Amino acid sequence: MNIGFIGLGAMGAPMAGHLLQAGHAVSVWSRRGASADFLLSRGAARCASPAAVAAASEIVCTNVTGSADVEALADELAPGFAPGAIHVDFSTIAPSAARRIAARYATRGVDFVDAPVSGGSGGAQAATLAIMWGGKSALAIRLQPIFEVLGKTIVHVGETGAGQVAKACNQMVMVAAIEAAAEAARLADAAGIDFSKVRAAMMRGSAGSRVLEVFGGRMATREFAAGVEARLHHKDYALLLDEATRLGVPLPVSAAVGQQLNALMGQGWGQDDTSSLLRVLESAGQRGPAP
Amino acid sequence: MNVGFIGLGLMGRPMALHLEKAGHALHLWARRPDSLKPFAGVNAKTHASPAQVAAHAEVVIVMVADAPDVEAVCLGVDGLASGGKPGLIVVDMSTINPNAARSIGLRLAEKGIEFVDAPVSGGETGAINAALTVMAGGKPAAFEKVKPLLEKMGKSVTLIGDSGAGQVAKACNQILTGVGVLAVAEAFNFATKSGVDAGKVREALLGGFAYSKILENHGQRMLDRNFKPGFKAWMHQKDLRIVMEEAHRMGLMLPSAAATAQVFNAIVGSGMGENDSITALQLLEKVSTPAP
Repeated sequence: MNIGFIGLGAMGAPMAGHLLQAGHAVSVWSRRGASADFLLSRGAARCASPAAVAAASEIVCTNVTGSADVEALADELAPGFAPGAIHVDFSTIAPSAARRIAARYATRGVDFVDAPVSGGSGGAQAATLAIMWGGKSALAIRLQPIFEVLGKTIVHVGETGAGQVAKACNQMVMVAAIEAAAEAARLADAAGIDFSKVRAAMMRGSAGSRVLEVFGGRMATREFAAGVEARLHHKDYALLLDEATRLGVPLPVSAAVGQQLNALMGQGWGQDDTSSLLRVLESAGQRGPAP
Repeated sequence: MNVGFIGLGLMGRPMALHLEKAGHALHLWARRPDSLKPFAGVNAKTHASPAQVAAHAEVVIVMVADAPDVEAVCLGVDGLASGGKPGLIVVDMSTINPNAARSIGLRLAEKGIEFVDAPVSGGETGAINAALTVMAGGKPAAFEKVKPLLEKMGKSVTLIGDSGAGQVAKACNQILTGVGVLAVAEAFNFATKSGVDAGKVREALLGGFAYSKILENHGQRMLDRNFKPGFKAWMHQKDLRIVMEEAHRMGLMLPSAAATAQVFNAIVGSGMGENDSITALQLLEKVSTPAP
């Protein structure tokens, strides 16, 4: 199939690579030319503009940062699309932005699918991402084979925007769990107890989780290099707390976690891993073991 | 003076009428013609667009709902910027994001138009009684020119600092009032559910360090179970959204305001948004154990 790919960062580049390897013809465009070099050397075709990518593709995938980036990109892609084409966006954006883009495409007979992913750059490289998508269910026949090249868990959640709602829920549960792991680490350490032992004990019990394993592990060894850049989680919290305001839904724990992320950003750790939430706790309150 | 006024709602209407009573000639534009009815028979001229209002006025006051509305009035098609002569002063008395205010100010400055952000506290009652608290941000010279107008609408008029500073002060005001109203509601619910008379608690506390205007005024209205606005809960939700957006942008930790904002989400989601903010008490009662 002819597939376009725009947004060749830590996630997008390996994803596009998997599509090439699966035998698809991949067209790319990137603002910074160099980020495409690796894919070009493996047979991808470089296009001069997003519209040219759209014109060369049945399906265009994008993986950029925020709502505004995707909306701007959609405006540039639109004139190139033939009716029947699909724009699959893997970025994490506001559900309302996804719905807006879908409505604008509809007049051209182009479909928009929001398909945010979970699993980080590791999951993108290993093709083990969880993909949660929203859009017309009839599109599954065309999309499922592509999604299966990129991820292991693929769920059609509902109509346009539903994928983004699922991603917001994912972030909410995951980062709250990171904060809980950080608080456990802080409490153990302040009490003079080795958190790695506490973690090992917890892993086998009811509190065991993927987050405790991965992020708790980074906290235990104090490896705060990303991983998942905390600024991305911070960005996602603005989206999900904004949805809560719009819908009139109280999210007390998420709001509290959002404030810890604000403090993390304020201390300049946005490009470090989200396990830095432990450092936020350490920057206030009792530092060392109890006297 | 020729004064433009855009945004003739619950707040704007009495504010504009105070200016007219003080001898100023009003120039008006309204999205809904109904809003212009109270101005029949006074010294007020109606115009077809904000641009035309700007062309006829030395100062234009804006009192609308949120940042996109202010932006549309100032910089949209037929907005103030397209009709205002250099030297025009636009005073925005709406409550909007401080960063949005700064950006609107910069874009108006390109046309030689001065911008002063001057949000208010005091609600509809304050507007009717010309007793508002006005917190302004902008250049001192522009502020001095519009100060006499602001004093016709408010009792306390303060220049806080540069462009956006008025909105920052208003955001601080909303942190204190939002968290404060919730604190009083929590205390009263705690007292009542403990089998203790909340009115007596209030009376005792008014004499101590927990005294506040909110305990006094909002507290009394809670005891009277008078949940009519006042200041509507959905507006407080909106104002706290602005606060939390700014905290997010700057990387600030505001744990109490964040928790309070979630309670306001619950209030609005429960369909109580049109009540006064003190409806927070009703929400707490609803989710707590029944009174003994």
